[in-house]
Amino acid sequence: MSLLDVSHLTMYYRTKMGDVHAVDDVSFSVEPGEAIGLVGESGCGKTSVAMSLMKLLPDNARIVGGSILFDGVDLVPLPEEEVRKIRWKGISMVFQAAMNSLNPVYRVGDQIIEAIQQHLPLSTEQAREKVAKLYTLVGMDPELMDRYPHEYSGGMKQRAVIAMALACDPKMIIADEPTTALDVIVQDRILHRIDEIRKELNMAMMYISHDIAVIAEVSDKIGVMYAGWLVELADTVTIFKRPAHPYTIALMSAFPSIKGEKRPLVHLPGEPPDLLDPPPGCRFHPRCRYATGICQEQVPEYKEIEPGHFVACWNPQRKGVADARA
Amino acid sequence: MTTKTNTYRFEPLWRVRLRLFWRSLKKNWGLFWESRIGPIGLGIILAFVLLMAAHPILMSTVWDPKVYDPIMGFDQKLVGQHPAPPSWAHPLGTDPIGRDILSQLMWSARSEFALGVTAAVITVTIGTLIGSICAYFGGLVDIVFMRLADLMMLFPFFALLIVMQSIIPMDLIKLALIMGGLGGFGGITIVLKSQALTVKVKPYIEAAKVAGGSSFHIIRNHIIPNILPISFLYLMFNVTGAIFSEAALSFFGLLDIRMSWGIMLNTAQDAGYLGAFGYYWWLWAPPGAAITLLCFAFYLVGRGLDEIVNPRLRKR
Amino acid sequence: MLRFIAWRLVQNVIVFFLFLTVVFFLFQAMPGDYTKQFIMNPKIPPEAREQLKERLGLAGTIWDQYAHYIRNVFTGNLGVSFEHYPREVWSIIAERLPRTAVLFFVATMVAFSWGFPLGRYIAWKRGSVGDYGATVMGVLFYTIFTPLLAIILLFVFANQLGWFRSGGFLNPRFWIRAGVSPQTVFMFLIATVVGLLLWWGASHLAARRLGHPRSRKLMVRSLTAVGLGAAVWAWYGSGLGPYGGDIVWHMVLPLLELTLISFGGTMLLMRDSMLEVVREDYITTARAKGLPDKVVRDKHAARTALLPVITSFVLSIGFVLSGGIITETMFSWKGIGLTYLNATLQQDFPLAMGCLTFTGILALTAHLVADILYALLDPRISY
Repeated sequence: MSLLDVSHLTMYYRTKMGDVHAVDDVSFSVEPGEAIGLVGESGCGKTSVAMSLMKLLPDNARIVGGSILFDGVDLVPLPEEEVRKIRWKGISMVFQAAMNSLNPVYRVGDQIIEAIQQHLPLSTEQAREKVAKLYTLVGMDPELMDRYPHEYSGGMKQRAVIAMALACDPKMIIADEPTTALDVIVQDRILHRIDEIRKELNMAMMYISHDIAVIAEVSDKIGVMYAGWLVELADTVTIFKRPAHPYTIALMSAFPSIKGEKRPLVHLPGEPPDLLDPPPGCRFHPRCRYATGICQEQVPEYKEIEPGHFVACWNPQRKGVADARA
Repeated sequence: MTTKTNTYRFEPLWRVRLRLFWRSLKKNWGLFWESRIGPIGLGIILAFVLLMAAHPILMSTVWDPKVYDPIMGFDQKLVGQHPAPPSWAHPLGTDPIGRDILSQLMWSARSEFALGVTAAVITVTIGTLIGSICAYFGGLVDIVFMRLADLMMLFPFFALLIVMQSIIPMDLIKLALIMGGLGGFGGITIVLKSQALTVKVKPYIEAAKVAGGSSFHIIRNHIIPNILPISFLYLMFNVTGAIFSEAALSFFGLLDIRMSWGIMLNTAQDAGYLGAFGYYWWLWAPPGAAITLLCFAFYLVGRGLDEIVNPRLRKR
Repeated sequence: MLRFIAWRLVQNVIVFFLFLTVVFFLFQAMPGDYTKQFIMNPKIPPEAREQLKERLGLAGTIWDQYAHYIRNVFTGNLGVSFEHYPREVWSIIAERLPRTAVLFFVATMVAFSWGFPLGRYIAWKRGSVGDYGATVMGVLFYTIFTPLLAIILLFVFANQLGWFRSGGFLNPRFWIRAGVSPQTVFMFLIATVVGLLLWWGASHLAARRLGHPRSRKLMVRSLTAVGLGAAVWAWYGSGLGPYGGDIVWHMVLPLLELTLISFGGTMLLMRDSMLEVVREDYITTARAKGLPDKVVRDKHAARTALLPVITSFVLSIGFVLSGGIITETMFSWKGIGLTYLNATLQQDFPLAMGCLTFTGILALTAHLVADILYALLDPRISY
């Protein structure tokens, strides 16, 4: 049984100008110990999916359909009390911009201890020991545990937040742009550290990023999101070698390759659609070079075109990236 | 693939600015309306404005000046009964020396507005300028003005008033000037300075400096426009303070002006009618309520503006 | 930090000095002269007159008087009151100040204990009907014309219901046979209140030793009960009970007025402060950690939101004089506010200037303390 099984998840934000279709009919699954990456441009819904999983949505957001099966339990109808128990112990999260995730008036160690003592029956002494171990795990000096957040550097804050996410030995961690705010060297280091830890502890992981290079290095499988839809899902190699959805192809083509001949970069004209009033049919069709009549009328079905490779497109491409460069 | 050629006609800058201004005005009005309390305050203020505007009309049409003049009027018909309770002729009754209460109320609305807004505008103008200067230059300038603010907050306002009254006859304009001046150098500079500081550290200030902008230019064109919304907000709160202060001073007989809501209360008290609360309610309830309502209204408007100015307070 | 305090103290002294100067010359410019009735009294022999002048600080030119005045203030001599001659200004202030202080502190405490939880609660439930209602109510209490509120309170409680006296500090007829001065009783009252507060605080500290939160609460409650019992027994035994009660009875209405106004302000401030904090990412993180809603609200949001409220409270200490003037006048409560007002109107310069001097020191110090407090409470700030 999968650890996480998301099925036709649909979530809207209610605003005074109408409903924003932030997440529409998204389905994917994550096995224990597996790493999935969610890729897409800003506003495509990846963070909304993550927040829906943890049920940390604001008051004006509503999950209007679908199910989220975590360890066999559907989180969607679950009351807040029960969800609280699963938070952090079942799934934990590393937020975007870690600098703001820490409360400035409390010591960092105390904030981690707070998370530990909420879910595990440990005394303060034992919790402190655990925090020390976590610090060592993420590569920081345990002495720093008694300092305040403003005394940490950006990289240190990121590591602290990761340590905090690991504190209750969760089965899965969601990492939302875990390294975006850092410089490339620290980014690389931390990313690999996270990956090592994950493999060591056999944890499932969901990486969310707009940077596909980062995702590719650490994910087993990748889901591509566009305008609130999951348009393609496959393992990493397949996504890179045989992307089927035109948007994925465009993403892949936007990279220069070190090997091979020089070529102009392909870019995608236009803008993502307004989620208040999305276009009929396929949401990508205004920008798609392979769009046909049916694309403008009907929402494409989410189909498995080869084992483990799902696409939501009326004209999935077979030849992949090489084709786009022509 | 064809590229559309953009025929760009150069629009005059003032037209662009006007359009953007109009657009943001509409958006802000929407936000203001959404705050729900802002429009309530505005409604009350408008009601008072109507009251204020209606007075000269009434005086020149229905009301006989000899009877209804707020300061000099006297109703002969009811002589011996003043202060008379409300009746058709005098909807809010008369005061101890025979003047119509409603007329007084309406007439004073004008001076209350004038006083409140004038004092507040002066305070906020001075405060904005000084706050910006302190934030931008820092150092000794900052320290001097901050200590001056301390001094102003301590300032013995009563004593000053008494002295001023003995030198020159006090009227509402002069009072507004004094209040505005004292207030402007006082506590508001601290608040506006901290706002100006958040603007000062923004990258575009750095950019302006690098581009060769003089201090004067930066303060005038970058810092001040960015704190104007907050200044405007504090304007509302200051109007409340000014009206309140004048009313309190008049009530205690410390201000020698001819007519205001505070004076109305003072008249009632001096004549000894405040002790018998229930019987002569029309002597203290209307002016008291008027003062409260107008202060309340401006404060609500201020809070409504707060939602515009401070995006964090908005609902999503 | 210490350097900061030292530097600020120097600045404060300079400002204070300027303040004294302003006050002195301002009062000199006031019309009328109370002292004339002393000095011009023909029955006083010339030498005595000179002595009197000296005593009252009126000898010499205006610059001599100024120097004299400054020197006196810095040596703690605030002079002799004209109106209450020959009482020293100090003693008058010492008598009247506690009354204002008690009103102020009790009102603020009560207002805070209502305003803080309410502000916190409605900010958490942003946009609900309760939020709007409470906000409007808070604004109303904050902006109501103070004398009007006083009139309404007097009307309802004193006049109509007859529950309370319509003003004054005590009932003179009741005290005729007292044999003890009201000041003494009042000081005992203050001592009791302060003592009980300290006792309550100490019981919290003592209870910290215990591990379990429930047993802690029990200990605090039982100790508090013991303290209250001791206080009641002491009052009863000393026979001062009824007199203390009389003063307290007179205190209720002015207290109510100050509390209501202060409550409005505190609640609004707390709400605004909370709303600023609630949007922060660390609040979302706290929720993500699975912490209960109340814990997130109280331990994370309110803690940070409390900072401006506390500093505003400390700053308001400096305005204890002006804040109370209207209330004290309306209820004839002889505190320092009313004293100052009367002194100014009667041209009792030493007393008026003395009150101002005292307020000046208080306000400047309060400002400094507020700044220090802010640095202590927020680890991000350091000087």
